[in-house]
Amino acid sequence: MIEEYALGHEMDAKERYLFENTPSKVKKVPKITGSKPPKDQEAIIEGLLYIVGEDGLRIEQLAMALDISYEEAKKSLERLAMRYAKGDHGIELVDYGGHYKFLTKIDIHPYAQRLLDIAKTSTLSQSALETLAIIAYKQPITRVEIEDLRGVGSDMMLRKLQARNLIREAGRSEAPGRPILYEVTEEFMDSFKLASLSDLPELPEYSSDEESEDLFQR
Amino acid sequence: MAFVASYETFEGPLDLMLHLIKENKLDIFDLDMSVLCDEYLAYLDKMDELHLEVESEYLVELSTLIEYKSKKLLPKREAELIDDYQEDPKDALVRRLLEYQRFKEVTQELVVPYMERSRQLSKAMSDTKELERDDEDEIFYDGNVSDLYKAMNRVLRRLKLAMPIETRYTQKEVSIDDRLLVIRARLKDLDDIFSLEVLADDCKTIEEAVVTFLAVLDLIKDGVLDLAIKDEDKIYLKRRER
Repeated sequence: MIEEYALGHEMDAKERYLFENTPSKVKKVPKITGSKPPKDQEAIIEGLLYIVGEDGLRIEQLAMALDISYEEAKKSLERLAMRYAKGDHGIELVDYGGHYKFLTKIDIHPYAQRLLDIAKTSTLSQSALETLAIIAYKQPITRVEIEDLRGVGSDMMLRKLQARNLIREAGRSEAPGRPILYEVTEEFMDSFKLASLSDLPELPEYSSDEESEDLFQR
Repeated sequence: MAFVASYETFEGPLDLMLHLIKENKLDIFDLDMSVLCDEYLAYLDKMDELHLEVESEYLVELSTLIEYKSKKLLPKREAELIDDYQEDPKDALVRRLLEYQRFKEVTQELVVPYMERSRQLSKAMSDTKELERDDEDEIFYDGNVSDLYKAMNRVLRRLKLAMPIETRYTQKEVSIDDRLLVIRARLKDLDDIFSLEVLADDCKTIEEAVVTFLAVLDLIKDGVLDLAIKDEDKIYLKRRER
């Protein structure tokens, strides 16, 4: 099976690991006849991105499918993203939480609304946003820690956010009672347009008296 | 000072306190706990007057404020200061308020990308099932939940007919796992395609029939069987290869 995939290409340890641990859907790559790397790489990527739609593609998956290196796949994706960002396109290529996918540009939305009779888009309440922010910056974090920060009970809110797949359980804390830890999901990264958590805006810092002036400016 | 009724809703006691601090131009780094306590209490009273429910969290914080204020009124005994040191409740409160303020502020930044993203749409993943399917068995087509329901009713009706009035009080519990074993064993002797009734023909009670039904759902989920519904209420099952 490995020979079939590799076409004489020597897999390094990382590729082999990914190859052997990726769901079969991706693994069953038919023999790609012709030289490697494939010509029209960006066109192929474009087509694959179209197929996977909202699920998006991870760089590793793409590298596997095209039989190219991780770095090369990444560069191609970035080039393609650039093209969509610059050109007269109604869609753009984004990377949220490591998943590359096509999205319609914001400018399209008013017309989509008119065309499809889209009602109001989903919103998150202030308390939902607060809770999400706390988890995103402090994860993994327990319910009690969240409640300490917010000063209100958050049990229902956590369940709601879990139901919306914005947060998930991430094991248990070593603290007494071994409380459940929470972290944000890829769905969260997607909803807030984040490639990774390091893209979160910096938390404002209030510690010294000098800053007390502008603390309540808003 | 007259209390101006505010229709603003607060996310909790900390949010309310930040509002009161701002409203009364208090310095958060040198917090006048006495003023804060009075304003806080006045607000809760007002909420009570308006018959708004005051949530317990607000009362918890109120008790902290009042405790602090009352302690200040009492003459300090020096021994207390030397005894085990605790963080000044005022410092603790200010720390919590500042920490809460940080997250409250940052949500205003987070809401922007969220609103943007909710205006950007994507397509669902292409359905490749159509390509993989082989259309050899014509009788197989998708039914819906109500078809399943009807089919199950048919099994139960037959069960009723086959079972004359009988009064028993013994109850035998059959687990789905046990039933699965029986069914898996029986599968070998059955045709490739068979009806649900055939599988359920050895059921003597409703419970057994239900357990059989659940076991079949399990087998479908596990990919052992395929399901089809014909004539609205007949369930056919097909053994899958592999």
